[in-house]
Amino acid sequence: MNWRVRHVTTYRYAETVDMATHMLHLSPRAVPGQRVLAEEIRCTPTPSRLTQGTDHFGNRVTWLSIDQPHDRFEVVAEAQVETAFPLPPPAEATPPWEELAARPGPEAVEFTFPSPMLPENAAARDYAASSFPPGRPVLAGLLDLNARIRRDFTFRAGVTGIATPVSQVLAQRAGVCQDFTHLMLNGLRGLGLPARYVSGYIRTRPPPGAVARQGADQSHAWVGAWLGPAHGWVGLDPTNNLVVAEEHVVLGWGRDFSDVSPLRGIILGGGRHWLDVAVDLAPG
Amino acid sequence: MVDGQGNLRPHWRGILAGLADGAAGSFGEAARRMERVFAEGVTSLLPGEVPGVGQASWRCDPVPLVLPAEEFDHLAAGLTQRARLMEALLADLYGPQHLVAEGLVPPALVYANPAFLRPCRKADGTASHPFLHCYAADLLRAPDGRWHVVADLTSRAGGIGHALENRRMLSRALPGLFRGHQLRPLRPFFELWQDALQHLAPQQRAPGSDGPAVALLTPGVHHRLWFEHVLLARELSCALVEPGDLSVRNGGVFLKTLKGLQPVHVLLRRVPGRGLDPLELDGGGMGVPGLLDAARHGTVKIVNEPGSGLAEAPGLAAVLPALARRLLGEDLLLPQPETRWPVDPGVLENLSGWTLHPATGAHGQGVVPDALDLAARAELVSRIAARPADYVAQQALPASVAPCVQGDALMPHPLRLRLFLMQDGSQWHILPGGLARVEAEDGSTLAKDVWVLHQDNARIAGPAAQRQPPLAIRRAAGDLPSRVADNLFWLGRHAERLEGAARLMRATLCRLDRGPLLPHEVAELATLSRCLHHAGLIAAEEQPSGAGTGPLREALLRSVQPSGAVVEQLGQVGRLVEAVRDRLTADIYATFTQPLRSLLAQAATVRGLDALEALLAEVLRYTASLAGVAAENMVRAGGYTFLDLGRRMERAQSVASQLHFALAQAPARVEAGLRLALELCDSVITYRNRYLGILQPAPALDLVLADPGNPRGLGFQLRAIQTLLADLGDAPLAAAAAALLAEVEAMPPAILASPEQAAATTTLAPAIGRVEAEVANLSDAVTRRYFALLPAAQALGGQMEAAPPATAPALTDIY
Repeated sequence: MNWRVRHVTTYRYAETVDMATHMLHLSPRAVPGQRVLAEEIRCTPTPSRLTQGTDHFGNRVTWLSIDQPHDRFEVVAEAQVETAFPLPPPAEATPPWEELAARPGPEAVEFTFPSPMLPENAAARDYAASSFPPGRPVLAGLLDLNARIRRDFTFRAGVTGIATPVSQVLAQRAGVCQDFTHLMLNGLRGLGLPARYVSGYIRTRPPPGAVARQGADQSHAWVGAWLGPAHGWVGLDPTNNLVVAEEHVVLGWGRDFSDVSPLRGIILGGGRHWLDVAVDLAPG
Repeated sequence: MVDGQGNLRPHWRGILAGLADGAAGSFGEAARRMERVFAEGVTSLLPGEVPGVGQASWRCDPVPLVLPAEEFDHLAAGLTQRARLMEALLADLYGPQHLVAEGLVPPALVYANPAFLRPCRKADGTASHPFLHCYAADLLRAPDGRWHVVADLTSRAGGIGHALENRRMLSRALPGLFRGHQLRPLRPFFELWQDALQHLAPQQRAPGSDGPAVALLTPGVHHRLWFEHVLLARELSCALVEPGDLSVRNGGVFLKTLKGLQPVHVLLRRVPGRGLDPLELDGGGMGVPGLLDAARHGTVKIVNEPGSGLAEAPGLAAVLPALARRLLGEDLLLPQPETRWPVDPGVLENLSGWTLHPATGAHGQGVVPDALDLAARAELVSRIAARPADYVAQQALPASVAPCVQGDALMPHPLRLRLFLMQDGSQWHILPGGLARVEAEDGSTLAKDVWVLHQDNARIAGPAAQRQPPLAIRRAAGDLPSRVADNLFWLGRHAERLEGAARLMRATLCRLDRGPLLPHEVAELATLSRCLHHAGLIAAEEQPSGAGTGPLREALLRSVQPSGAVVEQLGQVGRLVEAVRDRLTADIYATFTQPLRSLLAQAATVRGLDALEALLAEVLRYTASLAGVAAENMVRAGGYTFLDLGRRMERAQSVASQLHFALAQAPARVEAGLRLALELCDSVITYRNRYLGILQPAPALDLVLADPGNPRGLGFQLRAIQTLLADLGDAPLAAAAAALLAEVEAMPPAILASPEQAAATTTLAPAIGRVEAEVANLSDAVTRRYFALLPAAQALGGQMEAAPPATAPALTDIY
């Protein structure tokens, strides 16, 4: 399926910013099942310097700096992407979860350790554990956990921020896609299962007759879970209880949000600031 | 010191003889001489007991650790191999990571290691090489005499400045000790190092930059090793800069100086890798935004490469023997104690004989379970059992000892040796010396100089083994950073403010301790109190009402108690002296700081007005020596200009304010006001000599306002300010100062021409008050123009990677 993405980020500052340095994770990466056909990033004001590269995880990164005084910073990221994510194998065909926890393998082992925003959390581990009785095929447990989070937690914007810890999400049983993804990662890693934070988008307007998806007009996030070397990674979206297949576009992944924050920066001056984000993912 | 048969090793005989009689007379005297030399030289460089700055101690034992040539050559070969191994290990872990895939490096020691800086990895292997420019290792000697490597230092390899300074101090304290010994000098290593740093500069430099500029990046004056950074920057002739001094513009790194932005090409970092760039790493917001991007694109070379601290994880020692075979095809030349990672149940069962370290993070002395009581040991065991991969067990080597002076005798103490290596692009060089440390009886650490002996002459065949390459011409990025100018300016201001406070208080005191006050004294006291209040030394309600001076006395006494105004002022001076320490010679620094400590001690004991007066006399002696030493010893350029400018501006303001209060009198009281004005400007004797006893407004005003020869007068300050600003090439500000001067100079002739001098004099008060405000404006203009106060930085959009809390016993090495 072909998609058009348009992601507009606008910062407005109460006082003039004298200098700014930014790092962007806003270019979709090519992955099995996803081709990037075209892609462009435009900034206002025009950066005095802009470089691009890849990070440790293989994500595409843009670094830029602005030397001229400004009180507004806008980034428009547009891309055309073709996706055809393979369907995961039948759950019964995947190995027992304990097998993966015991031998996560070099390509996935990094995603079993605690990360900056996800220190070990016994409550998250215990929450996840009830989906993983002994011997259960890993994908069966993952699908069950994915469904439970959707059922047990309420999608509610504004009750959490970008730095909300999982313990708070567990306590208030509400949050947004980033929170549910962090919760699931925290639980899976607590069991020793490799799981990574995937940043991307979900289709904004549902096809006629279908339900609207949660978190569709913002950056989206979900879990990449490891099924072992034979089956690779599967995308699981706990916010919508979906297996990533037809409605998602991947930007990149990391251990948690902090590795793939779409836009971060250090500014000199600026005083208070206001952030406005608009995302549109439409077939095209 | 002794061989297997209990005989003294040959190289020790001369040294012990030298210490006991030839050089010093006795061991105790040798140790005392060392303490003395350190007190004069090094201790003054340590963060002293100055308020707001931490403490450190640095003592050095007079008995050196002597390494015969053969023993040292073996260490050199072994450590060079280890440095190559560390380099190869880092190149893989920050590149393709084959070693993890092959199972040779445990993933936890990389991915769960806070020293693994992901933004520094280039998976395609294009990361800039080499990772290591310098390397150091800690060694312990086993009872059989073999040195074992117990720690690798790949991040900053600190302590080398100490090593050099220990040698200098030992040769100053006990020059006789060195006679008759062929020991290898340290200086050539630093020459090579300096040269190697220059060669690291990118080939293509920005147009207009005239040579490679090398800077040593320090976290700043509050870092406990700041003085080592100062020593090293001096030794390597490079600029000492803090992250806040640097700015990345258009992909290049620049130092903010008074002359604008100056490019920097090589950064010898003494800042943790994590603290380099707040955009991509979290060092608590520390660092220079964009620095990693600049380094990735090769406009600046940072050494050691950020992230190189990964290789020093204590847990990795367990796999180093296997890695040496895999990466170098060699066995390790130097033994290391047996290492177990993760800590296995066998070790946990009986911790005796093991030392425990955190598996990742910085090396420390480790925890010795044998030294813990039962409860602490049980707690340690359960902590490790819960997370065995967070710890590493290293077999404890039986203590090998070295002789140290204790009292008048030599006592053996366990010793740890650190050796330093540097890589010049083609080969590794080792410092023929090092830093040895022993733990003294009282638990404090004592340093030792390390002597590497030349081969016996008989064994040297042909030319010296090492050819010295020609040294390149170098230039330091020596232009004054704005921060330094800022600090010097404020040092000048605060030192002068301290002096002004002392003078004002002294003038007040001599009127307070004379019993009943005469009417004119009451008036003078009222004027002085207004001055004291204006200077922030007393509160409004503490000004005397009539003859009631109780609250005033109390307030003056309180000002020298902790957190009193005078003590705060002493603290400010101390803080600023620390901040500019790298700009001061050791002598100047000692003159600035040593009296400060005794002043603070004396202030704490002041209970009555007599003691206060004695203290103020000491304060004035201190500020006089400060001014004198600076004027006689500091080169008239950049730094001194700002120090003097700060002092002149402060004095101009305080003189103007005091004259304002002294002259703001009823016309009948003008004479008393003038007398006080002369007193406050230290001009009573001069006036008496010039005009005998006759006090008239115009001549008195001429002396305190216009006389270009009176260094306490207002005109003198304004003239100096004008000259200093002109020296800086700042025509507009110099012109503003000149206008003020002209205004002040015109005052005495106007009074002289006036038919009613007394009345005219009192009308000057507001005009002089305005001069004070104008000088303050001038000072603000200087601040804005030269110190370029940047607005505060803030982070947007994303939780930064925070340094994880230490999960393991935090026993960080001070180096």
